[in-house]
Amino acid sequence: MVKACCVMDPEAARTARESLDLAFHKSNILDTGLDRHTLSVLIALCDLGLNPEALAAVVKELQREPPRSTPLSPSSSQVP
Amino acid sequence: MEEEDQRKVTDLVIELVRRLLSQQNPQNASPNSPHFSQSLRYALRILSSRLTPSVSPDADAVAESIKRRLATQGNSSDALTFADLYTKFASKNGPGSVNNKWAVLYLLKIISEDRKNAISGMDSPVFLPNLGLIDDEMGNDLRVLNAKENREKAWKNGVLLVSKDPENLREISFREFGNLVEEENEVTEEVLVRDVLYACQGIDGKYVKFDSNLDGYALSDSIKVPRATRTIVRKLCELGWLFRKVKGYISESMDRFPAEDVGTVGQAFCAALQDELSEYYKLLAVLEAQSTNPIPLVSENPSSGNYLSLRRLSVWFAEPMVKMRLMAILVDKCKALRGGAMAGAIHLHAQHGDPLVHDFMRRLLRRVCSPLFEMVRSWVLEGELEDIFAEFFIVGQPVKAESLWREGYQLHAGMLPLFISQSIAQRILRTGKSINFLRVCCDDRGWADAATEAVAAAGVTTRRGGLGYGETDALESLVMEAAKRIDKHLLDVIYKRYKFKEHCLAIKRYLLLGQGDFVQYLMDIVGPELSEPANTISSFKLAGLLESAIRSSNAQYDDPDILDRLRVKMMPHGTGDRGWDVFSLEYDARVPLDTVFTESVMTRYLRIFNFLWKLRRVEHALIGAWKTMKPNCLTSHVYTKLQHAVKLQLLSTLRRCQVLWDEMNHFVTNLQYYIMFEVLEVSWSNFSNEMVVAKDLDDLLAAHEKYLHSIVEKSLLGERSQTLYKSLFVLFDLILQFRSHADRLYEGIHELQARTAESSLSSRDKNKPRQTKDKSSEPGSWIREGRKALTQRASEFLQNMGQELDALATEYKSLLEGFLSQLPVQQHVDLKFLLFRLDFTEFYTRQHATM
Repeated sequence: MVKACCVMDPEAARTARESLDLAFHKSNILDTGLDRHTLSVLIALCDLGLNPEALAAVVKELQREPPRSTPLSPSSSQVP
Repeated sequence: MEEEDQRKVTDLVIELVRRLLSQQNPQNASPNSPHFSQSLRYALRILSSRLTPSVSPDADAVAESIKRRLATQGNSSDALTFADLYTKFASKNGPGSVNNKWAVLYLLKIISEDRKNAISGMDSPVFLPNLGLIDDEMGNDLRVLNAKENREKAWKNGVLLVSKDPENLREISFREFGNLVEEENEVTEEVLVRDVLYACQGIDGKYVKFDSNLDGYALSDSIKVPRATRTIVRKLCELGWLFRKVKGYISESMDRFPAEDVGTVGQAFCAALQDELSEYYKLLAVLEAQSTNPIPLVSENPSSGNYLSLRRLSVWFAEPMVKMRLMAILVDKCKALRGGAMAGAIHLHAQHGDPLVHDFMRRLLRRVCSPLFEMVRSWVLEGELEDIFAEFFIVGQPVKAESLWREGYQLHAGMLPLFISQSIAQRILRTGKSINFLRVCCDDRGWADAATEAVAAAGVTTRRGGLGYGETDALESLVMEAAKRIDKHLLDVIYKRYKFKEHCLAIKRYLLLGQGDFVQYLMDIVGPELSEPANTISSFKLAGLLESAIRSSNAQYDDPDILDRLRVKMMPHGTGDRGWDVFSLEYDARVPLDTVFTESVMTRYLRIFNFLWKLRRVEHALIGAWKTMKPNCLTSHVYTKLQHAVKLQLLSTLRRCQVLWDEMNHFVTNLQYYIMFEVLEVSWSNFSNEMVVAKDLDDLLAAHEKYLHSIVEKSLLGERSQTLYKSLFVLFDLILQFRSHADRLYEGIHELQARTAESSLSSRDKNKPRQTKDKSSEPGSWIREGRKALTQRASEFLQNMGQELDALATEYKSLLEGFLSQLPVQQHVDLKFLLFRLDFTEFYTRQHATM
């Protein structure tokens, strides 16, 4: 969606889609747990020159949420 | 433009946060929720803190590292797919493609790794991010409460990572280290490892070369490497130096082999070394294959691949180094040695506490000793000396059949390895010798059965190589069994087939004059012949006389084979020797008994024979004297006719003669008795007992030697009895003189008797012409002088004879006394019984006391 607004000619759109496909495939092989859309956002951010390490850290931190939702942890109840 | 970018970034981040949050909890994803804004703030903080990546942007390197990781995790198909995808991804260029490919790849890699770590490290760090997040609200309490956890968190928690960036620092310093190493080392470690591997095969590498000054492999000085590396290379290359030495020895020995005698043991040694070296080659081949793997930098995952560094090599080389060192030592020790000596030297090194060394030496020794044991086996079981290189501890030399046993084979102490004890070696020697003796001298084939039996009993296979080093028990039992059987067989052959005992008995009967009737007869018929000068005697005639002596005595019933061996021997004679001095009997023992009855043994028998013969002769002479002396009517008739004075004189002379004879006879009879019963028979009885007990030919030889020795010593023929022996011979000579005196005396008496009878006759018949008597010799003149003159003559004659007898008696007495007084002081031989017999009535003791 974000990408679509920048795309002008169909050739470039095709390349972008294929690239995204490849990246998504790779992401699956590496078992990153990212969906296609998130990946496209990340790729866009990378293209904008953001530090991939920082991006990875964000992904890591925000993906960490699910275990926190389990009621076992006493600290998790304090979060909301 | 900048602003636009900034806005774009913000939008994208918001989108990203929303998506990420919506993955877990759609409620959180709403932009209005406090959690969302908190997360967004957090994300922005992270993003703004890390502006530059910690690694250099290299898409290929990242892709490679991902691939390797996938491969090491066992997902080789994934790795392949990934590689394929990456090449396609990288090929997408131009508008619409991803510009920052490296960043994307790196991002994926980190996320993937993070997830993996999160899954594997689920237990404790699970709460940490939470703690990190609520730090703001919770204040310092928790930190104070759980400082330790905080520190742990410092490494796991993203927040703290951001502030400290330790991985980054490490990577940088590793890289710096890598640069430094590269700077310091002109050559990489891989190359050095390969060079060392070459050096360890005795080949010069590119940098590591053999330095004859140093006498070892070393890095050439011109190459710049740290000293530590240089040292470790030198250390590792010791193996190469040792290898060169061992290899050199092997090739040298092999080259020499056909021309010079390296020997079978030497060859076996070389082969064993060669085998050890081929083990070593195997190891080197494996190492060489590993050396092609690149040595990873410290920063990389060290568990990837079996690469070889110098340090790893030194671990690999630890064991071969010990072995190679041992081999080099052995090579040094064995250079000048051969055969058994070589095996012995190696055996000395096998006495080691280290099980590795012990096993190694054992294996080596089994190989090295196999030719030796093979020799032992064939020697003990077949009597074959398979020893072309003179390595065995038994050496044979070509000798005549008769000395085969004593001189044919000897132990070579230098070639006797320590693990074969002296006693077993002796037994081995004797067993093989016995077989050879049976084969050569006895012409016997039965030993083969005995050997087969021995093998069956010992339970060792007859195959070659059935014995080995370390099986001393097996060797011993084989040798024992073989020795027992072969020796028994040999003795059987000697006793039964070659009638050893019968021959010994024959020698005793004929040479030691045990057969009384034969000796008596022989003495009777050869006596007159032997009184002639030695040079006029024909040995053929004597042989004929011997023949007739045999035929007329009980000896004729003896085995013709034995009688056939009995011969007359004339000893070399000087001028004035009589037949008595040179005559002797000889016994031809023939092969194989000449091993026992060797020439020197026969010489000793001859000495005994001569002594006994002399004793017999003296006895014979005394008996002969007795024949004439014994009182009879003829002599008593004379007395009546004589004047009273002459008669008294005659009687006293005769009496003195009788007394002296009696004394001599007493001496000779008792000496004879002593020799016959206390020397010969006792020795023979001992010898017979020992013959039964004897287990092998050596025992038999020793028994026979003992027998002969005891006879020689007790018969006063030994070295230490020479004075006794000499006085004994003087006594014998005196007795022989006495014999001739007595003969003359009785001749005179008979003459006198004849005269007396004649004179009475002639007084009755005076017509009888005297011319006939005139012709007779000097005593004939007695008659003419008439009865008175006759009496006169007789008294004169008797007086002379009496004086001579007296002189003889005095001399004899003093000699005998001397002889007797010497008897008790002899220490080497027990003559108590002889003295006891000679002086039974203590006559001589008392006489000595009165004097």
